[in-house]
Amino acid sequence: MEETKISMYQLYKDMLTSYLKSKSEHALYHAQQFSKEMMEKDMSPEETVSLHLSVFQELAEDLPEEVVDSFDLLLEVMIGYGLAYREHQSLRDRQQQLESELNVAARMQQSLLPRGEISLDSVDLGVISVPAGKMSGDYYDYALDEQENIGVAVADVIGKGIPAAMSMSMIKYAMDTLPEQRTRPAELLENLNRVVERNIESDMFITMMYGFYDPRSHQFYYASAGHEPGFVYDAHNDSFRSLEAKGLVLGVSPKVRYNEDHLKLEVGDFIVLLSDGVTECRVDGEFIEREQLVEMIRKYKHLSAQEIVDKIFLDLEKAQEFQLRDDFTLLILRRKV
Amino acid sequence: MNLDIQVTEGEHGNVAYLSGEVDVYTATKLKETLNPIAEQKNSDLVVDLSEVNYIDSTGLGIFIGVLKATEKSGSTLKLTGLNDRVKRLFEITGLNEVIDIEVDGRKEAK
Amino acid sequence: MQVQTHVDIHSEWGIVAARQAGRKLAREIGFGSVDQARITTAISELARNIYLYANRGQIKIEEVTASGKRGIKIIAVDEGPGIKDLRRVMEDGFTTSGGLGAGLPGVKRLMDDFNLHSELNEGTTITATKWLR
Repeated sequence: MEETKISMYQLYKDMLTSYLKSKSEHALYHAQQFSKEMMEKDMSPEETVSLHLSVFQELAEDLPEEVVDSFDLLLEVMIGYGLAYREHQSLRDRQQQLESELNVAARMQQSLLPRGEISLDSVDLGVISVPAGKMSGDYYDYALDEQENIGVAVADVIGKGIPAAMSMSMIKYAMDTLPEQRTRPAELLENLNRVVERNIESDMFITMMYGFYDPRSHQFYYASAGHEPGFVYDAHNDSFRSLEAKGLVLGVSPKVRYNEDHLKLEVGDFIVLLSDGVTECRVDGEFIEREQLVEMIRKYKHLSAQEIVDKIFLDLEKAQEFQLRDDFTLLILRRKV
Repeated sequence: MNLDIQVTEGEHGNVAYLSGEVDVYTATKLKETLNPIAEQKNSDLVVDLSEVNYIDSTGLGIFIGVLKATEKSGSTLKLTGLNDRVKRLFEITGLNEVIDIEVDGRKEAK
Repeated sequence: MQVQTHVDIHSEWGIVAARQAGRKLAREIGFGSVDQARITTAISELARNIYLYANRGQIKIEEVTASGKRGIKIIAVDEGPGIKDLRRVMEDGFTTSGGLGAGLPGVKRLMDDFNLHSELNEGTTITATKWLR
């Protein structure tokens, strides 16, 4: 430490001497580089002021008393800055620590979501889910059972970030305990609702849409717990309609009955499930309308399901200048044969 | 965005007039205003949403919390003056089935 | 016999008097101008805390020696409301006083040793020492 001080003193003295002689930009450039070194060596602003004064006193003898005294004031002021700077540094360290904890949590959360493509002859599936921050309050799932029924789910916890992410994991664990209800959407939601109602803050709730596709009958069975309606694409008429189902959001009331609906998918027809992060995208300050979203899907409908969801995400991300306000999940399930 | 809340105590209970947006930024303020009223025993609370043009899901959650509080205290909650966008939100989430929503009485939106 | 100065803090004048006493003693002990200013700032913050949150209290300043080193010790005592959550007030970014924006973590940084004792509704005692190198 003492050695550093001496070498800093010498360095500063050389710099100041050179500058006073030449008044050159070069010397000032040195000073700028020096300031970086100071911060690396953890030198506080008040020490710098004091360094300046002592070097100056050595170089210019007989400094007027007022000049020397004026530094008392500067020193006092600089101590405040020094403290603020140190506080900032310590907050930055703490932020880094929090960030790394958050990264671990985010990785854990990723492991709750299904991974890998499902390649089936019967259906074409694509999904994208992107959190607004590091952790997501959106949940999605796709799973096959032994009969090759494919179940798909999209759920959305209100809010975002860590509190939403914690509730999202609750849905995942609850789903895992209900394997036999995978082909009974209404019952599945009724069971999930009981779990959620018992374990969630009074002003939080979760919306969810669950459905499954039976590749033998080509029927899609679904139920919704207050979830943002999806879409159905009718390939024969080249038209879209809303996939709506009535039902209360999860977590409000302990006993809720859900309705189950079903529809038939023809070859090329597809189902779109989404979270409200998609419809709450703002383009030019205005929420996108569902019709606009339909037009975007239409534009890409010749692509594979995965390509469609990827392209739509990129378009909307760009339109919002790469600032997601809410977690974004979009899933497409298309009948192939 | 801002949210202005005026509560008037009337003969038939309390009426809260909201004006602005109910979103993640204003939700806490709304909760702190409405919850204590909802927790009073046997009181009726009417929330007038005529001047509210937007409610997000966090805001919706506050109404659920208030509803639960009124159920616990034996009070009632009623919402009035919802615009189409707000009404649709209550319909999609199924909350119109559990919260008393007065359909008429909507003043013309500005 | 070592010197101990007491300054009562019940107005901003008291804060200035405590600063003055602290700077004088720091100079006598042999602290350089930067450390003098740091010690004074620490006294300022402690005295302001008393003035703002406890209304009245005392700042004691004394010279100390330990294992051949000389130093200055500041003791801030008040009978105010006490501090509820000690860990919180020692956290960076918690500062609520308008002052320097430093608060207690700042005092801790400016000095070498720092000790905080507080009882709810009884008062708070803070001791901070800086050693001459």
